[in-house]
Amino acid sequence: MTAIARKPSPRHTPPVPAFTDLFQATSGQLPGSGTAMLDEWRQRHFARFNATGVPTQRVEHWKYTNIAKVANVAMGLASRPDVKLEDVQRYFAGGPLARRLIFINGHLANELSHVGGLPDGVVIKSLDAMLREAPDRVLAALGDDRAIDASGPHSFADLNAAFLQSGAWIEVADGVTLERPIQLLFLTAGEASAVMTHPRIVVHLGDGARAHLIESHVGVRDGHCLTNLVADYAIGAEARLAHDRLQLGAAGTTFVGLNRIAIGEKGELKQTVATLGGDLVRNETDMHLNGSFIEAQLNGVYMPVAAEHVDNVIRVHHEKPDCHSDQFYKGLALDKAKAAFAGKIFVYQDAQRTNAFQQNSNMLLSDDAEIDSKPELEIYADDVKCSHGATCGELDPTALFYLRSRGLSKAEAESLLTYAFAAEVLERFTDPAVMKLAQERLVARTPGGANLTDML
Amino acid sequence: MLTIKNLAVSIEGEDKPVIKGFSLEVKPGEVHAIMGPNGSGKSTLSYVLAGRDGYEVTGGSITFEGEDLMEMEPEERAAAGIFLAMQYPVEIPGVANSYFLRQALNALKKARGEPEVSAADFMKKLKAKAEAIGIRPEFLKRDVNAGFSGGEKKRNEILQLAMLEPKLCILDETDSGLDIDALRTVSDGVNALRSPDRAMIVITHYQRLLDYIVPDHVHVMADGVIRKSGGKELALELEEQGYEGLLGEAA
Repeated sequence: MTAIARKPSPRHTPPVPAFTDLFQATSGQLPGSGTAMLDEWRQRHFARFNATGVPTQRVEHWKYTNIAKVANVAMGLASRPDVKLEDVQRYFAGGPLARRLIFINGHLANELSHVGGLPDGVVIKSLDAMLREAPDRVLAALGDDRAIDASGPHSFADLNAAFLQSGAWIEVADGVTLERPIQLLFLTAGEASAVMTHPRIVVHLGDGARAHLIESHVGVRDGHCLTNLVADYAIGAEARLAHDRLQLGAAGTTFVGLNRIAIGEKGELKQTVATLGGDLVRNETDMHLNGSFIEAQLNGVYMPVAAEHVDNVIRVHHEKPDCHSDQFYKGLALDKAKAAFAGKIFVYQDAQRTNAFQQNSNMLLSDDAEIDSKPELEIYADDVKCSHGATCGELDPTALFYLRSRGLSKAEAESLLTYAFAAEVLERFTDPAVMKLAQERLVARTPGGANLTDML
Repeated sequence: MLTIKNLAVSIEGEDKPVIKGFSLEVKPGEVHAIMGPNGSGKSTLSYVLAGRDGYEVTGGSITFEGEDLMEMEPEERAAAGIFLAMQYPVEIPGVANSYFLRQALNALKKARGEPEVSAADFMKKLKAKAEAIGIRPEFLKRDVNAGFSGGEKKRNEILQLAMLEPKLCILDETDSGLDIDALRTVSDGVNALRSPDRAMIVITHYQRLLDYIVPDHVHVMADGVIRKSGGKELALELEEQGYEGLLGEAA
């Protein structure tokens, strides 16, 4: 392999040598190894990861998260523990006809998965199969992990490429509507020693295609595990994607996720995310609206408890005129938890008549909790409607009085309003089963939530 | 049932009194209308009765069925049988209307030591009451007041009233924001609840509501006190003469 001698900037810290040891030890064993183009691609990305280093909090979009502390440590690749069907069935979503790929610590669980009977023009495969069968197509789709902003190459995308194991490859041809939802269920079983997994999701919706994707991340055992996910969504002209994302991580686990989304003319995206578990969860989204008349709705809710940490970074690029984007994010932090929301809307010079909105409302439920909210607009067009708002508050006294005047005790009223604050976002899930799972976890996290269980 | 004696109230943190020696006696079965111009203290009175924070009672007393109301939390007042239909009902996105009502009803029953209602019995009753008040079934599944029009919110308050069956109903400007048809259905809903054991205080600006909910007593409130009391004909007099004419001064 090639080593690039470059001193990392203070904005990055050099990776621990264990990464290089692991990369050498596993070379030849990862899916598709031995294919020259793929080996070269992995090496190139690993070299760049080594040269760039792990971002510190001096990198603007890592400001709120000290990722090096948990990610720049010696880790092995996560093995595949046994998981029984009956333990995971309760996380199934999308209805009885949903097609489903299940991964355990990043490894495809073929015996639990079901993607048969696909209509013409639809491909749903595990990425390791694609890496073996058609590495050229995979590499063409993944490209060079384009840099997201001026801060340089994306270290975690590079690390993902170097150790890429599995994930999902989804293609829906032009004009094809996939009625039945696809669920990607990622199960994480933490381990006693530090391990990591590097899944990837590649979704390509052709022009006029329609699909509903459910992405579930579920911790089935406490313990160490870093999941470093990279997801690429290409949504064609007049295509429509509904994307439900549920994160129910276990104690001890870390999740670092990068979503890169590109949408074509008149395309539509409705994405709803609930982050309700995991020691550290980082959700980064970089969305480009590449055509006109695009509708993009990004909904999210996060509710860290104990010492959990959630970091949301969203960048929306309005490149062409007449698009509409809407970010609706709500957060609650309890105990000693921390959360951050940094959302930025770029309106390019061409993008006249842009409608771009962003609302981030937060509630602190403990004196020791912390939420940082950073809404930003960067506008180069002159005929636009853009707004952003961030709030951080406590329960509304008028609403509390209203509920108490109907007979609810103060504690019951507080529980109900806390739940309701977050539940408003959950109602935006496209799939009812995902909504229900999220509501259950939300109730479990709400102080006094035991009184609310009969709501579900 | 309700006895208010020489009540004096200020907004918390402000010296200025809003209610200045207000007295009222309400017996079971009676309907009292309180009319008055803006700023006369009508809404403050309703909030003080329901136990909202932010008001300071500086004098006088309120007793409800022999109990000192001022010592009670809002939920204790609800359990005792007081219900305030609010002028501006609160929107609670994230909580379904029917769930909220069942929680409220069961909380009241629990506080009174009565058995809770089953989900099936509750839904049956709720659907019947909603139909009577002209609330479409989908509103029961929607979030509490979220995105409701002004009229829909007021109907929803009356639905809560009908389900919770309080002893004392306080209607604070229930007529505001209602068109004539909605006013009629809402009034029918209220009238259906009139009974020898139940009392009502109807707070309104206008006489119009009192054509439908006919009061036994009418009180004209101005500047924090009752300035004139009478029968239902007083409302008509007021309609003709205005507050200025009736009270003989700039009200």
